[in-house]
Amino acid sequence: MNISGILVVAGPGRLDTVKEQLGRLEGVDVHQHDPASGRIIVTLEAEDVSGEVEGLKRIKALPGIVLAEMVYHYFEDDPHPVSELPPELDEVDGLEGIRVPAALRD
Amino acid sequence: MEITRREFLKSSIAATTAATVGMPLIQGAQAASEDFEADWQWDKGVCRFCGTGCGIMVATKKGRIVATKGDPDAPVNRGLNCIKGYFNGKIQYGKDRLTQPLMRMTDGKFDKKGKFTPVSWEQAFDEMERQFRKAYAEKGPAGVAVFGSGQYTIQEGYASAKLMKAGFRSNNIDPNARHCMASAVVGFIQTFGIDEPAGNYDDIEHTDTVVSWGANMAECHPILWSRVADRRLSSDDVKIVNLSTYANETSNIADTEILFKPGTDLAIWNYIAREIIKRDAVNHDFVDKHCVFATGPYDIGYGMRNTDKYAFDAEKDIMAKELEVTLTAEEAIAQRRKTGEKVKQNNTKKPVKHWLITYEDFKEALDPYTLDFVSQLAKGDPDESLDDFRAKLKLLADLYIDKGRKVVSFWTMGFNQHYRGSWINEQAYMVHLLLGKQSMPGNGAFSLTGQPSACGTAREVGTFAHRLPADMVVMNPKHRARSEQIWKLPPRTINPKVGSHITKIMRDLEDGQVKFAWVQVNNPFQATANANHWLKAAREMDNFIVVSDPYPTISAKVSDLILPSAMIFEKWGGYGNAERRTQMWREQVPPPGQARSDVWQAMEFAKRFRLKDVWGEQMVPGLEAEGFESGKLPDVLDKAREMGYSPDDTLYDVLFATPENRKFKWPDKVAKGHDNHTVKAGALDWFPEKALYQEYVQFGRGHEHDLADFDVYYRDDVRGLKWPVVDGKETEWRFNEKYDPYVKKGSGFEFYGKALKELPTGDLDKPTSKEKTSLAGKAKIFFRPYAAPPEQPDDNYDLWMCTGRVLEHWHTGTMTRRVPELHRAVPTALFYMHPKDAEDRGLKRKDVAMVESRRGKVQAVVETQGRDDPPRGYTFIAFFDEGVLVNKLVPDITCPMSKETDFKKCAVKVRKA
Ligand code: SF4
Repeated sequence: MNISGILVVAGPGRLDTVKEQLGRLEGVDVHQHDPASGRIIVTLEAEDVSGEVEGLKRIKALPGIVLAEMVYHYFEDDPHPVSELPPELDEVDGLEGIRVPAALRD
Repeated sequence: MEITRREFLKSSIAATTAATVGMPLIQGAQAASEDFEADWQWDKGVCRFCGTGCGIMVATKKGRIVATKGDPDAPVNRGLNCIKGYFNGKIQYGKDRLTQPLMRMTDGKFDKKGKFTPVSWEQAFDEMERQFRKAYAEKGPAGVAVFGSGQYTIQEGYASAKLMKAGFRSNNIDPNARHCMASAVVGFIQTFGIDEPAGNYDDIEHTDTVVSWGANMAECHPILWSRVADRRLSSDDVKIVNLSTYANETSNIADTEILFKPGTDLAIWNYIAREIIKRDAVNHDFVDKHCVFATGPYDIGYGMRNTDKYAFDAEKDIMAKELEVTLTAEEAIAQRRKTGEKVKQNNTKKPVKHWLITYEDFKEALDPYTLDFVSQLAKGDPDESLDDFRAKLKLLADLYIDKGRKVVSFWTMGFNQHYRGSWINEQAYMVHLLLGKQSMPGNGAFSLTGQPSACGTAREVGTFAHRLPADMVVMNPKHRARSEQIWKLPPRTINPKVGSHITKIMRDLEDGQVKFAWVQVNNPFQATANANHWLKAAREMDNFIVVSDPYPTISAKVSDLILPSAMIFEKWGGYGNAERRTQMWREQVPPPGQARSDVWQAMEFAKRFRLKDVWGEQMVPGLEAEGFESGKLPDVLDKAREMGYSPDDTLYDVLFATPENRKFKWPDKVAKGHDNHTVKAGALDWFPEKALYQEYVQFGRGHEHDLADFDVYYRDDVRGLKWPVVDGKETEWRFNEKYDPYVKKGSGFEFYGKALKELPTGDLDKPTSKEKTSLAGKAKIFFRPYAAPPEQPDDNYDLWMCTGRVLEHWHTGTMTRRVPELHRAVPTALFYMHPKDAEDRGLKRKDVAMVESRRGKVQAVVETQGRDDPPRGYTFIAFFDEGVLVNKLVPDITCPMSKETDFKKCAVKVRKA
């Protein structure tokens, strides 16, 4: 499980609609906001790692949003923070990972 | 996880996020977050990735990094991080992390054709020493080389440069920063006589016009871009222009997007300059007081080899242009010559030479760059109307010229990685200087840096083939003498001959001139253009290649010996970002297994050589310098004896563990309980990172490059300082009397850089008098003409291809591809092309295409929508993906002045794979 803290900035006059839309996104909780600056703090929870990135993309795609950036990243409970490698890197079995990759041979 | 714990976690994270970005906390949240983080230790750090240099906070618990957040007190990023920065805490935990040295062996012995086998550090250094001695005996100082880095910590770069230049007397150390910043450096030195930007990031909040040239800031400098976005939204008067060769994310908040044809940026700047003069908008007061006009030769080649002995047949036609160029119709107009004229490239050896011209000559040179000429030449999107494009160019000139407007121009690789990269940098200053919009809050031409310490280490420490610390160069006898004095070396120890730049080191490997190379903190076999040549050279020539890296990169895979390195928060270090801000961090966690810092590796290797091995007479083919016998470095051992050294002293004793350095004791209270594995592994009682740093700062103090003391950067209230730091105060805008203590009182502005400030006078074609004029305190406004890219699409290779970065990955992906979140976000490098171009070739989105240039081919997945949107005829692909080695396709054409490769322009053909 991954939880991130995200700062969202809504465009002028868009705070309420943005908040409402954020609330409807899966895994997103709106925690607090500042009407003067249009800033909103949300958390994003995702089952797996890619969900986190997808979630941020969904937030960024909402209309009326000026900025959405991750601020805080929590992964203490993730016992294997790196569980997946690109296939051409993922040949690590003993020292096999050090093979010269096929891409270099042609 | 139970619901209650999860809810608790979320409110704690929200509270921390709010606190980080400076929002007032809702009641109870503060306590919740403190409770939750009770057993964490937070400390300040710096982002490992781009040259923006964001501050981050790192939390550790029991020797592991558990969380990171944007540093709310960091003026650069004010609590924010981009997605890469946010994953700083994960990069060291990839499952293929290297934890022991690996050597190619057969039957227990080194064998170039052998398999990688674990060895001890002792065995690794034994073989390294043997191979180094062999190469050094056969070829001398020119036969060994270091591939350095813009990602070295300050101390690592300093240790390596000192070992090479002072110890081995070799200038063959050159960083990957050559590929990203060298043209910017030449632009600075030529124009101002001193390196690095005058302004700082606060220019963003002070300006009302941001022009981004050849820089996809939204993806490559995301946090700066978020500051630009904030600024844009604060007022409708603020205008943003994105000049690019293809539509990208940076266009999203731009008011105007100008798509130009590759290379024609040279003409666009000249159009703006011509308009400034035509509309009588030159700031004569500023220009008369602070500037002169200059130009140089045009026949300077393209930085390719001048022989095609090693060339593939298909690339020979392009390489022939190194010797002779046939001018195109546009070049003929732009350079006041005749179409089809054959121009021998007579100045490839002296591309940097230049001379003063008059303002009248300057005006005359700009005359051909009319709106008619430039708009026809430069329009980059075949589907845009000429009228629309003309209107945009005119608007661009209006924005620059408007007296009421402040303007900042930002650029990165589109300018620097350019066959005329140094010229285009000079042209940016040309326009800003003509208008007097330079070196003041909100006004200035601002070169952004790619790498986290391209400025702080590669440039300031001088890990280049021609540089010494603090802007000094090996060719200058006074600079060598000063360095020899600080380093306590006998006179004439330092080699006056410029070493090989990074691409030349690759060429030297291919032609057998370099036989020992050590790769440090970079991945040159993936990142150097025309890679097929160098991959073959590594595996098939008689040489020995050592790679120090935390992960098995392509460079590691083609090497002979791999040394496991410590990563950023596993060691002490400092970086310097693009606004001259030096920032430091403590070691947070220990490196895994036997991985060790690069500083430790340099010092251990130094222990293996004695003065008598290296300070005797050395052959250096081609060395010609006053006070030196031709082709030779003198024996300096006698002088060394007089200075109290013994020929049996090791380089470690003489260069690193000096009596002065050993005075910096470990433990040190600045550590606040943090460890130092370099100290432990070397069983030291001194603090090498601090000692080396304090030695290094002597070079710059009183010489316009003052840095503060080591401990200052670790103070809780300091988030880096912008040099020169004089009397404890940082410098916000250089060359401006109001802010810069080096500027003469009463002068207003002073461009006090000392390099290249004595010039002959001439006309537009050549110098006409040998007599030199001093330009102390002045900046140069250069005229540089349009020149056509040497490789352009033709009937066979019919599309442009450009390479670059994406938001989620750092450079060759060594670190970011090992973070699953980032890998999943962008798993592979996509080949962006226009849908019509794809269709014409029978390709659809997601098809695999074969992309082929004169130099090689790769397969890549086609993308016709999404974040990049190239015009017809143009394609883009990122270089992070080792499965799609795009540098096989790119030619090793460089700016002849800076030797920086043009990664942005090559011609390819594309078909279905
Ligand atoms: S990658 Fe660059 S912009 Fe992103 S957090 Fe790091 S320094 Fe900042």
